[in-house]
Amino acid sequence: MIHVEEHKDPQQNLKSESFLLPKKLYLPISQHVGAPSKLLVKKGDEVNEGDMIADVNGFVSAALHAPASGKITEIKTISHPSLKQSQGIVLNCQHQQKQDSPRKNIEELTSEQLIEIVKNSGIVGMGGAAFPTHVKLKPPKEISTLIINGCECEPYLACDCRLMIEKIKEIFAGIDIIRKLINPKEIIFAVENNKPEAIKKINLAISTKKIGLSNVRLAIVESAYPQGGEKQLIKAVTAKEVPPAGLPFDVGCLVFNVATCFAIYEAVHFSKPLIERLVSFAGDALVKPKNVWIKIGTTLKELFDSKVLEFKVSPKVIVSGGPMMGVALTGLNFPILKGTGGFLFLANTSKVDESVCLKCARCVDVCSMNLLPLEYSKLVKNNEFDSLDDFNINDCIECGCCAYSCPAKIPIVHYIKVGKACKPKK
Amino acid sequence: MRQVIIALIPATIAGLILFRIRAALLIVICVFVSIATEEVISRIRKKPSTITDYSAALTGLLLALILPPTTSWYGAILGSIFAILVGKHLFGGLGMNIFNPALIGRAFLMASYPKMLTTYIKPFAADSISCATPLALNKFSQIGTPLTDLFFGGVSGSIGETSAICLIVGGIYILIRKIADWRIPVSMLVTTIVFSTILYLTNNAYGSPLFHILSGGLLLGVFFMATDPVTTPVTKKGRYVFGITAAIMIMVIRVFGGLSEGVMYSILFMNALTPLINRYTKPKRFGA
Repeated sequence: MIHVEEHKDPQQNLKSESFLLPKKLYLPISQHVGAPSKLLVKKGDEVNEGDMIADVNGFVSAALHAPASGKITEIKTISHPSLKQSQGIVLNCQHQQKQDSPRKNIEELTSEQLIEIVKNSGIVGMGGAAFPTHVKLKPPKEISTLIINGCECEPYLACDCRLMIEKIKEIFAGIDIIRKLINPKEIIFAVENNKPEAIKKINLAISTKKIGLSNVRLAIVESAYPQGGEKQLIKAVTAKEVPPAGLPFDVGCLVFNVATCFAIYEAVHFSKPLIERLVSFAGDALVKPKNVWIKIGTTLKELFDSKVLEFKVSPKVIVSGGPMMGVALTGLNFPILKGTGGFLFLANTSKVDESVCLKCARCVDVCSMNLLPLEYSKLVKNNEFDSLDDFNINDCIECGCCAYSCPAKIPIVHYIKVGKACKPKK
Repeated sequence: MRQVIIALIPATIAGLILFRIRAALLIVICVFVSIATEEVISRIRKKPSTITDYSAALTGLLLALILPPTTSWYGAILGSIFAILVGKHLFGGLGMNIFNPALIGRAFLMASYPKMLTTYIKPFAADSISCATPLALNKFSQIGTPLTDLFFGGVSGSIGETSAICLIVGGIYILIRKIADWRIPVSMLVTTIVFSTILYLTNNAYGSPLFHILSGGLLLGVFFMATDPVTTPVTKKGRYVFGITAAIMIMVIRVFGGLSEGVMYSILFMNALTPLINRYTKPKRFGA
């Protein structure tokens, strides 16, 4: 764990705005962990807002929906923030007013029906990992603790914080649905102590009979990085450690991000698939940082063309995600994905050349998974990929604490990613 | 590395005051030759110049501080070349060396010129009046040395090792500024105290715990040799293992060995064990 400069001010205090009328949307069919979605549309098809345009393709996969009405103009390879490129759908939007249609008889829905709704709404984990949510809702083991993750430990980002401040009732309604499905003994709502306003709202919601759930407990955790990492958070609130290569259910836990809870609420209560999300835009290259509700697939370019965002100075670095785990982008032609919590536009970079490792072991001291990160950069530089497993490289969650703390400025996470990709598969 | 040089300033000044021109000459020779050797090897290896990282200067300074003031100029030159060439660059240069380069330089001279490296003189003396170190006096002649002399530095010894107070000031600077991890220095000091107390209680001819802490190269070794990150363990557990074992070995050599001082060989030996220590002291795997 490390303490980084949080940069949450003013981001946390900016009321959310909306930009829901884009002209063109770029929708990669790989926005989640697992198999890419199976295309259901072809070039020239007319679609309505909320129509499924790509379906679940395998056990771990997610569906994709048209964020707006319009015409499919192309199916082609498009830019993707983390995969560089992915097959995707280009949608020319013709906006029509769409009324929310509240679903009736929610109380009568069976577990199977609820999970089917989540599955058919294309919901994935919105904290960044984008794991298909319907898969998580059918855990193979009994779950004693449901953890709601409102930590948002990445510096700059504040979309989860704003969501908790502005939509806490809806989040609790979403939690209630998850509670019905997995029936945990205890629900822990975990928030970092740097979000006082969100904490107030959660406390209020818990104490209000109508929205509060009887077994929800608020856990205020220390603001540190990567406190919001799934394994770190489980340890922080339950003192249990998820075993290596294990999943949270191995220790009877399940973790959902607050935005995912909100998406589940919208899907169940309004039949609204995951087609928009709250995104933070931050960094000193912007005239004004913002938190904006945006249709999935909107490109950064369109946000700047339509003056939703404006540059004060041209940015030296553009990052999809936060500064710790985010991916540097090569331009503005990238779409917003389901798992994207924010973008960073920085005017300056203190780019320092990497120097040699002096084995000072700061990386060892800060590693949130008790690994020896210096070994990875050494082994990868020497092409000794066979030895990476001796140091349990797969345990690494790529949180970036090592690279952040490295006095020699060695991009350790970069070497770890290369190492994971190049090491022999078992 | 610049910070470590800053931490060595008090001990260097003490050396200059105590041993005057001899100290000044040796320090200048060692630092200059180390830097020159570094630059020549960098050019031969077609690597970027590394003078500005201060590592060669530090090696040179450390080597000078652990040499007897009467070391000849050619001894200093050979030791510096050996330290940088064999101690550092034959292993691949900065960050890759297994042994502390300055200690390698001294070990080389110890093997090549044993007489030169074991002849010490009284401080403040105009002429070179040879005088055994407090450790040697205690061990071979059963003559004690007042602790205040050891503390302030009015005893014979290597240029930088005689003034305990100056080394402690530098060591505290290193620990407070977090230039090095505290685990090795603290475990070494504690183990030395514990072990020497036990020995002292069995036979007080072995020297008191304070005598062992303040005399010889112990403080210099603890704060400036055993804190070199490159040649010491990266794991926290490993650092304790390193510190405790090194201290035990120092006391064994001092009390039962043929030499009166064992800091150099103990640390070099532990340097060699460092990869093994790292291997067996990996932190507990998360969730395992």
